[in-house]
Amino acid sequence: MHQENGSKTGGVSRRQFLQGAGGAAAGSVLINLPHIGQAQEADAAATANGLKRYAADGAKVTLEVNGRPAQLTLTPDTTLLQALRESLNLTGAKEVCDRGACGACTVLVDGRSVNSCMMLAVDAAGHKITTVEGLASDGQLNPVQQAFVDHDACQCGYCIPGFVVRSRALLDETPGADLNAIKHGLCGNICRCAAYVRIFAAVEAAAKGGPA
Amino acid sequence: MTSYRKDNRVALENDAPRLDIVEKVNGSAKYTTDYYMPKMLWAAYIISDYGDSRLKNSDLAAARAVKGVLEVQIDKQAGRYHGDRLGHVCAESRQALQQALTALNLRFEARWPKTRLEDERTPLEKLTPAENDADAQKVLDESDVIAEAEFQTQVQTHSSLEPHGCVVDFRGDSAVVYGSTQSNIGFRDGIARELGLRPDQVEFHCEYVGGGFGSKFGHDSEGHLAAQMSKKFKRPCRVIRTRKEEHLDTGNRPGSIQHMRIGLARDGKIRGGKIATWGSIGATERSGGGGVRNPSRYNFGAVAKIHEDVNLNGGNSRAMRAPGHPQAMFAIELMMDHLAEQIGMDPLDFRILNETSDIRREMLKVGAEMIGWSRRKPGGASPGPIKRGLGIGVADWGNGQGNATIAVNVYRNGTVEVLSGAQDIGMGYRTLIGDIVRTHLGLPRELLIVKVGRGDYPPGPASGGSTTSRATAPKAFAAADKAKKAIRKLVASEWKLGDAASIALEGGVFKAGDKTMDWNKACRLITDDHLALSANEDGDYWKTPTGSEAVQFADVSVDTETGIIRVNKVVALQNVGLPVNRNTVENQITGAVIQGLSFCLFEDRILNRQTGAMVNPNLDMYKIAGPLDVPEIVPVIWREERDVGVNSLGEPPVVPTPGAIATAVANAIGAQVRSMPLTPDKVLAAVADAKPAASQPSTAGQ
Repeated sequence: MHQENGSKTGGVSRRQFLQGAGGAAAGSVLINLPHIGQAQEADAAATANGLKRYAADGAKVTLEVNGRPAQLTLTPDTTLLQALRESLNLTGAKEVCDRGACGACTVLVDGRSVNSCMMLAVDAAGHKITTVEGLASDGQLNPVQQAFVDHDACQCGYCIPGFVVRSRALLDETPGADLNAIKHGLCGNICRCAAYVRIFAAVEAAAKGGPA
Repeated sequence: MTSYRKDNRVALENDAPRLDIVEKVNGSAKYTTDYYMPKMLWAAYIISDYGDSRLKNSDLAAARAVKGVLEVQIDKQAGRYHGDRLGHVCAESRQALQQALTALNLRFEARWPKTRLEDERTPLEKLTPAENDADAQKVLDESDVIAEAEFQTQVQTHSSLEPHGCVVDFRGDSAVVYGSTQSNIGFRDGIARELGLRPDQVEFHCEYVGGGFGSKFGHDSEGHLAAQMSKKFKRPCRVIRTRKEEHLDTGNRPGSIQHMRIGLARDGKIRGGKIATWGSIGATERSGGGGVRNPSRYNFGAVAKIHEDVNLNGGNSRAMRAPGHPQAMFAIELMMDHLAEQIGMDPLDFRILNETSDIRREMLKVGAEMIGWSRRKPGGASPGPIKRGLGIGVADWGNGQGNATIAVNVYRNGTVEVLSGAQDIGMGYRTLIGDIVRTHLGLPRELLIVKVGRGDYPPGPASGGSTTSRATAPKAFAAADKAKKAIRKLVASEWKLGDAASIALEGGVFKAGDKTMDWNKACRLITDDHLALSANEDGDYWKTPTGSEAVQFADVSVDTETGIIRVNKVVALQNVGLPVNRNTVENQITGAVIQGLSFCLFEDRILNRQTGAMVNPNLDMYKIAGPLDVPEIVPVIWREERDVGVNSLGEPPVVPTPGAIATAVANAIGAQVRSMPLTPDKVLAAVADAKPAASQPSTAGQ
């Protein structure tokens, strides 16, 4: 179901990218790359060594988000999270730690939960992306969302889209997960208000409710 | 998982989920960070990398040469703490902003910083004694038993998940502003001053706040920069602090050292003594607020108290959920156990004896039964390497009246709209005022619309000091009452009844004799678009307050081979006055317990002693309790039989937890760990120290 981004698509993973460009200076190094000119379709820019080359000042990237294709012009250092929030106005996923430590930016990539702050947008091309805004269907909340509602599983709510999306993935991975499995399955997410008791109760109820 | 509510009764019999939960689970709730405007500028601060630094190099020309950069300015050449704001960059895009900050190529000279409270404080013997020092000395001289101990607590960062941020769109004679704040009015007025506008010219939005915990009141540095850049360049400007800056520069709970020398009578009554506290505050003269609420709660008799705020080269301290309280109760509860041990008294009996509150004395007895206090063993006496222990923590909170206005609009289709300019910082403010109004009118939630968090709504209080509920709830009752009377008057006129008061409103139906009219039909009697009513006085709805008393019992396991503490269970009894909505009340209690647990066991702002740089300024290294750390929590809403109002809840339940856990750990291993956080190294040292044959130094006062 899930493709390891970078290896199978031939894209440059964020990790490789950062290794090549060097930590905080990543953006500036890329922008200093030879100027390619007009933004062009990323797929047309493959080079011989298996790496793709993207225009530093913006390449056209098509992302399939919540079942709809969106053509964006993005600089290659743009994370999936930034593309979703800044270009597509899908602001449910939040930027909290910007390093994969809190889960607030969680989205589904081909059904698997991913910290979208840790994935480059160009690497998400060709994959099915689902954000919290895309979980409901036909005006009905996803059963996980409904369980969060029924159990008042939030306080300030800033982390909740991440918890909801991760919980959806968790229950798809482990249908019928028990409390222990839920705690382990959610341990990449942080809620500072600590509404955990209610979040666990919601996910337990959703797990008992069967598949989505 | 329904057991968490079995003990609770709620006055309004209200179990509905909070009113804004759908927006929060489907991602449509818009927080300040979620606003991206056309032609928007991005601005950020240039910050010091070290605790006490001088700028040696900055390549302003390179930064200004970055395409899309509008302004790069350095105002200060020296930083007093890691994160100190030296200047700013404003650019047309996030990428340009980042590139300019990198191009600056800042180089600093780091001078030896002040990083440790224990090194920088004035030693106890050199502090100026309190005015009543001689009286306290006399009490100590006359005491049968004297105990002395020193406790230390660390710096905690608020770590609100939504960073401090502001988006300002200055439009000449008006502005649209989004700000993440606990004080809509304060934030709006600050921005208005920055822009040279009147408050009414600023359309201020804060419909959702991603946590504040005491750190978000004024418009602050982010509002200042966003306003100035928007005004200067006549474009919207966005300033969102980074996660790193959140740890460095947006406030923290100050660290403390607390020295207690307390005398006892042989019967267990505390006579009095001397308490000295030190609080670690920021580097500048403007920083403050390092106070520690020690002594408090128990009757400590005649106490001579002295306190010193100590400047460190760290970010400024700031109010954080119950400022000065959790750290004080950590020390006080350990001291209570220590004192009880001196005279061989059970710590529960010792607390009941020295308790100042009748309500809490009762809560102590109920909580002890719920946690199974009778099975508590002497310190370190449970068998095997994993030791079990029980502990106690207490708190309370003041409840005074406050200013607020609640508006209620009743529309001809029966819809009831409730408006307040106060903000919902996560406690469920929308739900509180909405549920009061609709239950007072006997209406279903479908007819209710609650709007909060805008500067042009009726004024509400800043959400600090646990004031929001108690300031607004009486006005919500009063406004609902006015709505009821206004509609009833229309019904009386329709029925040609002279005495409107003879009409009752029950379950959303007006009744007089055999006549009935439901709410929706009655509302159609409104001849105008809607009836607009509001209340800004408490009237009869201000009830004698409770003390928001809190008592918690903790049950922990400590692995004496690894030093790892697991909290098994916390029973949290909480007096909230009149509980309006069970979900929000219980949620806030259990969340506070976990936040207290997190403070007690994990969180720690660690400064490099040579450079003053914070070594763990993100959520991967600044450890906050996560799902695997959550114990079983039993929230108990303490309900008094007398007629009480809606009282404080935000702060009191976070106060007792560190003390409850720390005393439970001491009971488990037979030795006190007197320094927070209670990390495995300190636990192992205490365990080694507790063994009679061991010769390791004490961890006390570390």
